[in-house]
Amino acid sequence: MTQENEEEKIEEMTESSERVSAPPPKRSIWSGSITIGLVNVPVKLYSMIYDKGIHFHFLHSVDGQPLKYVKMCTKDDKIVPWNEVIRGYETSKNEYITLEKGELDAAKPESDDRIRIIKFVDYFSVDPIYFDKTYALMPNKNKQAYALLLRALEKQNKAGAGRITLRTKEYPALLHAYKGALVLTTLRYAYDVVDPQDFEDIHKLKEPEKVELDMATKIVGDLTGSFDITEFEDTYMKRVEELIAQKVKGEKIHIEKPPEVEAKGLMVALRETLKQLEQK
Amino acid sequence: MIGDLKELTKVKLKNLDKIFYPTVNVTKGQVIEYYITLAPKLLPVIRDRPLVLTRYPDGVDGGKLSFFEKDAPQGTPEWVKLKTIFSPSAKRDVHYIVCNDLDTLIWLANLAALEIHMPFSTVDNLDKPDLLFFDVDPEPPATLSDAAEVSLLLKDKLRDLGLTPFIKTSGKKGLHVVIPIVPEHSFEKVRAFVHKIGIDLAKESNIVVSEFKDTKKSGKVFADYLQNSPLRTMVVPYSLRPTPEATVSTPLEWSEVKKGINPSDFTIFNVIKRKENPWKAIFEKRCNLEI
Repeated sequence: MTQENEEEKIEEMTESSERVSAPPPKRSIWSGSITIGLVNVPVKLYSMIYDKGIHFHFLHSVDGQPLKYVKMCTKDDKIVPWNEVIRGYETSKNEYITLEKGELDAAKPESDDRIRIIKFVDYFSVDPIYFDKTYALMPNKNKQAYALLLRALEKQNKAGAGRITLRTKEYPALLHAYKGALVLTTLRYAYDVVDPQDFEDIHKLKEPEKVELDMATKIVGDLTGSFDITEFEDTYMKRVEELIAQKVKGEKIHIEKPPEVEAKGLMVALRETLKQLEQK
Repeated sequence: MIGDLKELTKVKLKNLDKIFYPTVNVTKGQVIEYYITLAPKLLPVIRDRPLVLTRYPDGVDGGKLSFFEKDAPQGTPEWVKLKTIFSPSAKRDVHYIVCNDLDTLIWLANLAALEIHMPFSTVDNLDKPDLLFFDVDPEPPATLSDAAEVSLLLKDKLRDLGLTPFIKTSGKKGLHVVIPIVPEHSFEKVRAFVHKIGIDLAKESNIVVSEFKDTKKSGKVFADYLQNSPLRTMVVPYSLRPTPEATVSTPLEWSEVKKGINPSDFTIFNVIKRKENPWKAIFEKRCNLEI
């Protein structure tokens, strides 16, 4: 290895050591077993995906007191207590059938503690468009069975396809290895995903000229790089966080004006109209 | 560049890149540019009239917030002309915006007032209409094409009476026929006159209905007289409409009114390019209504 190469390697390592990730949750949200035929692997399930955002409370501008939501009758504008609320399904405009809680409960899927794996598939054969939410699976008591399943999946790049019931909803799910752990990704149902070919606009595409295509291909080639998610950040959230930090410190907030936009078209139109109006 | 813009208008324009019409990708900047370009044609018609606005701060995509506004909003600059009118139903004064200059029009566009509505009388003579209004409103499956047919019948009838009708598309599915009149009669009288013409028309054409109760009969065209009332309004000529295609309530020459006419032929994109103004001489031809 030459000196140069070594330096490159070191640089790469320092870069990758700066990991950006969310902290692991303290509590599991589900525990049960992965079931493959007669084999059971006991696991605990943890959330792995955060929907990070900034949460605001609504306050009354007059006295700064927190506000709450109430349910109001649309007929007489009176507040309705929770014990008088029932569920209705709108069958046609302003016509409802009502459902008792017992009736709904009876229809709920059997909540069991199994991740039922039906078969193994090539992980990359699953279209990521169906991926919904990913959960980390951690061994529960029996680490051996967990390790065995993990290594077997890693070795063959396979994923277990099956289903899981979380709370009241049954999901198709994919069990796979990720960064040396088993994870479970719930999937969307086929009927919940739109096929872009069903848009009419896509049917009128014209094949580009070869010269144009060569040009476009070159541009794509020139701009090709490796993907790094840490290059992206929510700039709005970052600014709001900074704003909050400043307020907490009691600093005066300086509201910055949005960047000015090119308004050339407007200026041309304005000059023309002003000229016309003057002539009158 | 922006420094120059400040010299041209008092209005502080902002968020010009915001999309107002997502289907056709029209930005707030384009909407303002449209109203600036059309100002010489629009301002004379809305002059001295208390305006009612429909504002779309987040654009016109389905489900987005919009609101009707009569009262000048908080933060209205002091140079915007207002007309205070007592509202008996709200039991309070309403401060209407009056738009007699370009800056006010730009300010309205900057407020996302995509739609501007005006009454049929002016601030100094609110009780006496100076415009007489027929809303030719087709009920599906009747179309703008059917409304055009009815409007042509209406035009002949009005011209026979010695009147000078003007026409525009509503920007949605109907047509608006307007006659400039000397403001000397009450709304009540004018409304009765418009109603009578509608009744006569309904006798001559089996697709015309003249009564409000018949408006929902499918395939019929309603000659609506009811808007001829104090502070009732019509959308102003050249106002944008909140349709996905960014259609415009477009003044037409009578020669353009024919079968096959389509509301989506008149949008922000082509109305901005129309050279002639069919309503140019509207207030030079005020009619004396003998009623």
